[in-house]
Amino acid sequence: MRLPAFTYYQPTTVEEAHAALIDHPGARVLAGGTDLLVNMKHRVESPEELVGLSRVGGLRGVTREPDRTVIGARTTLKEIQKDARLAADFPALVQAAGAVGSYRHQTMGTVAGNLCQNTRCRFFNQSLEWRSVRSLCYKAGGEHCHVMNKDGVCYSTYHGDVAPALLVLDAQVRVLGADGVREIAVGDLYSGEGAAPLALAPTDLITAVIVPASSAGPSAYRKHALRGAIDFPQVGAAVWRGDGVPRVAFTAVDRAPQRATVLENALAGAPFTEELIQSVASLAAKGATITRTTIIGVPHKRNLMSALFLRAASDIL
Amino acid sequence: MDERRILTLKINGDPHEVVVTANTTLLEALREKAFLTGTKRGCDLGACGACTVILDGEAVLACLTLAAAAEGCDIRTIEGLSIRGELSPLQRAFVDHGAVQCGFCSPGFLMSATALLAENPRPDRAEIKRTLAGNLCRCTGYAKIVEAVEAVVADAGEIADPLPIAAGGAA
Repeated sequence: MRLPAFTYYQPTTVEEAHAALIDHPGARVLAGGTDLLVNMKHRVESPEELVGLSRVGGLRGVTREPDRTVIGARTTLKEIQKDARLAADFPALVQAAGAVGSYRHQTMGTVAGNLCQNTRCRFFNQSLEWRSVRSLCYKAGGEHCHVMNKDGVCYSTYHGDVAPALLVLDAQVRVLGADGVREIAVGDLYSGEGAAPLALAPTDLITAVIVPASSAGPSAYRKHALRGAIDFPQVGAAVWRGDGVPRVAFTAVDRAPQRATVLENALAGAPFTEELIQSVASLAAKGATITRTTIIGVPHKRNLMSALFLRAASDIL
Repeated sequence: MDERRILTLKINGDPHEVVVTANTTLLEALREKAFLTGTKRGCDLGACGACTVILDGEAVLACLTLAAAAEGCDIRTIEGLSIRGELSPLQRAFVDHGAVQCGFCSPGFLMSATALLAENPRPDRAEIKRTLAGNLCRCTGYAKIVEAVEAVVADAGEIADPLPIAAGGAA
């Protein structure tokens, strides 16, 4: 399957990469390529210009500051797994990086690229031929959402593994934008809209992911996929156990990765015990707008949320 | 947008000049421009692992790598594993353990396993399986492939460089 034609820019510095995004507002950033290039081959995304980061220096590696850990945006998922201190301090992040696709996706895929993964749907992530038997879906440029059987909406689901881990670790992303550098919470990266899931401007370039030192401690990520090394998660759950204020987040259950606030409130203040997690697990799906964007049904997904929360929480009892 | 350009790709130690456009993948450049057809096109979407090559020491999917991004990198393909007709220890083990049937997936498996052994000469069974997961085989049932890799790990007293470059280039 050939890629559509595009113009490819290969900057060598962060400044050049950012300048390319400003000069070419229609351009997309290409990091590992394991998501965007597949979508381009399927002709569901066809940017006319790509800004490749493969030669940009200074975006890779993990540095420690007194109160936080800074992970370069282009640090690969494999490099995250090989970092012993990340594994000791932020196990959920390392487990999530190791849960992405196959080993080769982890050598290619980057931490920021995984965060910026496009939302998915069984009517969207298909070849042009497959999609040609019905009208274009709303996200692909048509009018109709085949999942909701309604015009003008899109409930495609966010399936990235790393985002829920970074949500429970209270991480931030450093964004180089038209007005300079800003740091925003990982949750604020997402618009909550299926059709345009990222709340980033075309000129925004993520340069780092920042995890606060206060998030070091017991955390875990568990996912369920139909075929481990091939499929995206049907559900992924991350849990962090702080002092009386545990955090829980899910992926693959809505248009954005999200904290499970109802569940978190039920966990707050009580000792983190087997009895507690068992008693609140049924609240896992409260607040998530689950739609049938994958081949498994909504009730099954709700059950998976509870089951995966229990598994992740049990890992850190 | 369709502008052609000449790239020099360093493949198995040898420079190859190829004419590509921006949307040419490394897989297309290897197979259709450099005529190195050992690297296979399977799903072409990053799911099957048949196109696995080693780029600067890492096993990557050539179907999701732009040829232009691979310029200046050390690219190793299945054609570079045997030196002057002599199979690499992994290739020999695949033959000896019946890890090859139709053979279509073998280049991908061999490149993934070669990259693994280059990084960790003593992987355990779990690490071998974790690394090879996502290389799909419809014939062997995988057991013999894992056994072949384990045999190389067990046999090697002193592990030689799994990615040698013969003097004057690969055979």
